[in-house]
Amino acid sequence: MKDKKVKKEKKKIPSFYKRMIILLGIIGPGIITANIDNDAGGIATYSLVGAKTGYGLLWTLMPITVALIMVQEMSARMGIASGKGLADLIREKFGLKVTFYSLFLLVFADLGNTMAEFAGIASAGEIFGISRYISVPICSLFVWLLITKGNYKTVERIFIAGCTVYLSYIVSGFIIGPDWGEVIHATLVPNLEILTAENMPLVVGLVGTSITPWMQFYIQSAVVEKGITTKHLWHSKVDVIVGCFFMFLVTIFIIICCAVTLHTSGVHITTAADAAMALEPLAGKYSSILFGIGLFNASIFAAALLPLATSYYVCEGMGWESGVDKTFKEAPNFFTIFTSLIIIGAAMVLLPGINLFNILIWSQVINGVLIPIILLFIINLCNDPDVMGEYTNSTTYNVISYGIVLLMLLVNGALIYYEGIQRFL
Amino acid sequence: MGIFKGFNEIQIHFSDALGTKIFNEDGIRIGNLSDFFVDYEEVYPLVLAIQFKNSGQYFYISWDDINEYSHKKIIVKNNAFKGRSRTYPKVTTNKIITSILASQFTGNTVEYPPLGKIVLDRQIVDTAGKKVVRVNDIQLIKAGTNLRVTHAAIGLRSMMRRLGYQSAIDSIIKLVKPNSKYLTSEALINWKFVHAIPNKSIQSSVKLNLSNEDIKELHPADLADILEDLDSHGRGIIFKNLDPKTAAETLSEVDDDLQVTMLRNEDLERAADIIEEMDTDDAADLLHELGEQRAEDIISRIDDDEIQEEIQELLEYKDDTAGGLMSTEYLSVLADDKKDDILKKIYKEHEDLETIYSIYIVDKNEKLIGQCSLRKLITQKDNIEIGEVMNSKDVKSMQVDSGWKEVASFMSKYNLMYAPIINESKELLGIISVDDLLPWLLNER
Repeated sequence: MKDKKVKKEKKKIPSFYKRMIILLGIIGPGIITANIDNDAGGIATYSLVGAKTGYGLLWTLMPITVALIMVQEMSARMGIASGKGLADLIREKFGLKVTFYSLFLLVFADLGNTMAEFAGIASAGEIFGISRYISVPICSLFVWLLITKGNYKTVERIFIAGCTVYLSYIVSGFIIGPDWGEVIHATLVPNLEILTAENMPLVVGLVGTSITPWMQFYIQSAVVEKGITTKHLWHSKVDVIVGCFFMFLVTIFIIICCAVTLHTSGVHITTAADAAMALEPLAGKYSSILFGIGLFNASIFAAALLPLATSYYVCEGMGWESGVDKTFKEAPNFFTIFTSLIIIGAAMVLLPGINLFNILIWSQVINGVLIPIILLFIINLCNDPDVMGEYTNSTTYNVISYGIVLLMLLVNGALIYYEGIQRFL
Repeated sequence: MGIFKGFNEIQIHFSDALGTKIFNEDGIRIGNLSDFFVDYEEVYPLVLAIQFKNSGQYFYISWDDINEYSHKKIIVKNNAFKGRSRTYPKVTTNKIITSILASQFTGNTVEYPPLGKIVLDRQIVDTAGKKVVRVNDIQLIKAGTNLRVTHAAIGLRSMMRRLGYQSAIDSIIKLVKPNSKYLTSEALINWKFVHAIPNKSIQSSVKLNLSNEDIKELHPADLADILEDLDSHGRGIIFKNLDPKTAAETLSEVDDDLQVTMLRNEDLERAADIIEEMDTDDAADLLHELGEQRAEDIISRIDDDEIQEEIQELLEYKDDTAGGLMSTEYLSVLADDKKDDILKKIYKEHEDLETIYSIYIVDKNEKLIGQCSLRKLITQKDNIEIGEVMNSKDVKSMQVDSGWKEVASFMSKYNLMYAPIINESKELLGIISVDDLLPWLLNER
């Protein structure tokens, strides 16, 4: 018996690889989702916000983060309470018609997002002097093979591991050493003067890149897949809050870094690649390479996850066969959707004369237009005892949630007014 | 035939019937049709009542109170009883029962949920096609003065009908390809193969219970595929209703990650019952993934001491070595055991053995000294001792710490279906079958 005990002790030390897997396994869906949030569109938007407005828009991050926490919490709670995905619940509650049109919009928005990811790949490539006509086709083929031949979970884990590159923003933030008093003031005190017509796309971009429609589907199915039970509802809340706080931290430091290095020196950037190149003379060659690697990692893995996730949700809602382990014949719709998303997404970026920056911003705008609709679904479902059992929203929660939707509609309305109507009249 | 006056279609689509205006005999509109209540106890359920919504409230009217029924309008008797409820009180009969829903309390009143609410737009199990599908539409048929449910529609055509594009798509296809299969055939599931999964609120409020007969008849491998395709709620409902043995067989076939999740959702007692029914090697793998604390809790609840001990021993080994892969359910005898005794032993224990075709001979210290096939044994005279016929020279065996690849190439080299696993002192610990290695060879792990 004693002999056995010794053997057991020995076995307890897993290999390094195994320990990594366990560590990554503990990271909850909330943290994963928040990390995926920092994709190409996100990084580009944050950099631009910092470069253009300095600390001016920092205060908007507070309400955005609160909104993000609440929305993610609702989605996660819904997944836990019902054991079903969001597309599934929308279909069961609102029927085929509503599901079809919302999923159609989701595919459209995600096509925009996929384009943004490929734009990110193109930008990252250009930092290293690689033409987009080389990087994008190769990467889209790589992404397609990764999905069909690779393992979804592995893809996700590499992606998350790669996202830790963004921690370097926090480190460089401390090295730069901004005036912390000023930063705290700009974060906590709303500055309404900054909300000009010129800055409106940036605000919508910030909202759109932080709270995306597909993320709500994503976190819910991640929670369902993990099989988290109502017993662990509290853990899941902590997970969501920690995840969102981490995202907030990364976002605020990207903005601070760009504000200090770019805004104060008056460098104006118009493309995502500029953000990195502009960093070069100020913070050394190393920053530029780091930025490029970070952007490339975020873009390429999001370019794999997004089309894949999208086709999963569409098939879930429409009742089509799905799964990468199926053959094309078994799941034709599933394969068609993600393959077309990749091909169209990559091809659009390669259209001659297209502006990558416009793709990034406008994909966030489509997100911004769709997200209130998805939010209304989420709030409605979260109040349905048939779905939630005893875990429905409280009244206060509902009031704040509807307030968030209203604010989003206002911001979107303002953008459409400034960008669309005023420009063409 | 008065009730269907001027209504000539034989087949009725649920989606077409929805929203039909309901009037009383005086022509006063009382609401719009929103759902049907059917007799779930029948193979092709009879429509018992219709549901309608009026100023936010749900009501039901019995089918007997309907004077006229068509897609244009429904006329009900003036004195029809309008029950204000989302469910329909159905007095159950004593007969038991078909595939869809069976009541727990026969002879009592059971609150039936409406048909659309549990089937339309929901995932169901198609027990004939052994698949999980989502229902786009429901087909009913006119039978005398009644309606009966006959099919669940799942295809593209039913989807187009729900979206309201059917006539448009139909005319386009008629132009392009007049004899297209799309126009004539619709993807339907016969109602007797429809296995519905009630959602949470229905389950808890009306105490309806799924009859699992049709599910139990499926092969565990098919059942595993179905469970993988269902959402976790439906998965839970079906899995909880399986007896421990079927649950164990099914669980062994489910994807690794899902195995862990599913077992984690079971309470410890049932988890222990299921683990007990699994092959010990599969059980050990699964417990290994489950984490130490939980695994120990489950193991301590296993009733059979022998299985408990075996699993505990297996857990000591790494899962990619012979020790982690092997099963301890092998047939071992002593060299002086007679043929008769061995056959009796096989007769008695065969259910707990991984194989009976390969018999291993050990000495008093459990040391492996020989091997004999069942074929060789039964062709011998009756009172022979196995020691006389066994192969004792060069018994093909592997060490417990060999890697799985080593075991695989060893078994391939000597064409073995089973390989005995021993430790340094040649003590027999278990056997590995080709079957245990296949998932590793196919890279499924």
